[in-house]
Amino acid sequence: METIKTGLFSAVTRLRAEGATAPVLAFLVFFSLYVVVNPEILTRFQLQNAANLVVPLAFAAIAQMIVVIVGGIDISIGAIMSLCNVSFALMMINLSPAIAIPATLLIGVAAGLFNGLLVAYLRLPAIAVTLASFFIIGALTRELMDRPGGGISFEFFLATSGELLPFVPVSFFWLSLFAVALWFVLQKTRFGRHVYAVGSNPEGLEAAGVHSRATIVMAFMLSGLTVSIGAIMLAGSTLTGDPRSGDAYLLNSIAAVALAGVSFAGGRGSILGAILAAFTLGLIGNFLYFAGINASWQYIIAALILLSVVAIPAIVERVRKAYRESK
Amino acid sequence: MNQLLTNIKTIPKAAWPFIAFILLFFLGGLLRPELITIESLLGTAAFAIILAVASYGQTVAIIQGGIDLSVANTIAFTALAFLTMTRTVGFFPALIVTLLLGSLIGFINGFIITKLSLTPIVTTIAMNGFLFGLILLLFKSSELATVPVELEVITTARISLLGVSFPAALLVGLIIMALLQAMISYSGFGRQLIVTGTSAEVARYSGIAVDRTKTLGWALTGFLNAVAAVIIVGFYSQASPTMGAAYLLGSVAAVVVGGASIFGGSGSFVATVGGALVLGQVATLVSVANLGSNIQQLIYGLIVLGVVAAYGRNKKG
Repeated sequence: METIKTGLFSAVTRLRAEGATAPVLAFLVFFSLYVVVNPEILTRFQLQNAANLVVPLAFAAIAQMIVVIVGGIDISIGAIMSLCNVSFALMMINLSPAIAIPATLLIGVAAGLFNGLLVAYLRLPAIAVTLASFFIIGALTRELMDRPGGGISFEFFLATSGELLPFVPVSFFWLSLFAVALWFVLQKTRFGRHVYAVGSNPEGLEAAGVHSRATIVMAFMLSGLTVSIGAIMLAGSTLTGDPRSGDAYLLNSIAAVALAGVSFAGGRGSILGAILAAFTLGLIGNFLYFAGINASWQYIIAALILLSVVAIPAIVERVRKAYRESK
Repeated sequence: MNQLLTNIKTIPKAAWPFIAFILLFFLGGLLRPELITIESLLGTAAFAIILAVASYGQTVAIIQGGIDLSVANTIAFTALAFLTMTRTVGFFPALIVTLLLGSLIGFINGFIITKLSLTPIVTTIAMNGFLFGLILLLFKSSELATVPVELEVITTARISLLGVSFPAALLVGLIIMALLQAMISYSGFGRQLIVTGTSAEVARYSGIAVDRTKTLGWALTGFLNAVAAVIIVGFYSQASPTMGAAYLLGSVAAVVVGGASIFGGSGSFVATVGGALVLGQVATLVSVANLGSNIQQLIYGLIVLGVVAAYGRNKKG
């Protein structure tokens, strides 16, 4: 009992330190409302549809978060998503998943390597580098495939997005598996500690004899890998490859990272926060549909949730400061 | 040789995109000699000036150290609002309300950024989404195509000068550029904006009201996005909810290719026009050589990369 208590306590402390309390609470409130409005979300069919809808965004959000933690920002994530989505769908026409999946992961890693090398070794600003790769990768993607198509089989849909497991949506299972592995890499390995350190204190890391540039490149590669898994999940759930499929993730991945309480100055970010923020943003449209509200409101509500959750710490800080000064 | 290098270094930064544009223009002449004409030059310039006009707001945002990712839907929202209003209240009242709407959008961005300490990226992404919701809720017909006559006069009407004719939008875009350049180079506000963009800390110590300057800068960005919306509506005779999408990163590309630092404190409207001209001339060359829009995007990416590698070294690194 005592260990559970301290375990829970340290988990809450960690969430607070990572700025993830607000997004976790926001998700709990939102999901409770969702269940009240539409209890059927808890049925197998609806839960599975909802999971398939939000899992790719969760991957994109985690990928964006990794880059933000090392002090950058990636506006090519949507383009990498489209490239991997299209490449995977094309390879699935003739090749077995055992070749297509690793090849797609490699493409994602290569895109991350390209961005990472330019950022770390040429010392170019991440936003400008990824603006350039947004154009370059977008061109490559549309050269590969100019309209939706590819050869995603129904078996693959079942394996990524169907009823492979009892009760739990299988896409959710893959996301959890990945999240736990990533959590282990970021929290329990030397590389993970360097990733957080390079964002908060690059000089200190360099002084301690760590190659901060190599860490940045590897973080970008890890981010690219994460995007490519999201792209495969997206191809599986939509049964198609689409050169425009990643477009929406450009701004939404950044929005989810902001909602997750990740600091854009780098050095801080929680995987759980990013996943729950992506779930919240991704499910607003469905929620409104079941509440009988015009779905166009989803964009307005998403913006207001984002602004209020992100602004709360700033407002609290202001009020505290004013209170201290008045005393 | 050293003398040459020194001479090259004295060329003002804003001149480089124009030099690149002229080189690209004559490169086109090597491919097709008949392309070296004033008409061809003006055709590219007219196309480029629309991108430049859509990037003036982004120029202000980047000079003051921010980035505006709400430009896409600010343009779409104000354009649709403008065309809807002209039907009922007429051209001039609609124009004034549209420009006020744009300024208000920018002001709200500025207020959130300065008073709630949110980053410009997050704030403007939220604003972009918010405006998209408003567009879908408020404007029933997605495509509106009746352009008022007064607007044609300042956009598509052809002006003849010394035997060549070009669309009025080119002249209007250049006049706006000259006014904005005078403002940023010679007014107190312009200098305050540049200092604030270089370092908010330094600006504060030099007695500049940083929050006020930034908020005014953001309001100006919103205002300029609305100006762009009106000109784009006139030039292409249509407005739609997705009409701004191409300007989201297109505007950032034009400003960056113009040579502005993505970290703020530098950049000019003349340079942004130069950046837009380079991108426009690439588009012309690609279409002349029949290479397709993918090659065009690929070259855009390589140009952005080249320019950033030349100027954009991370000073912190």
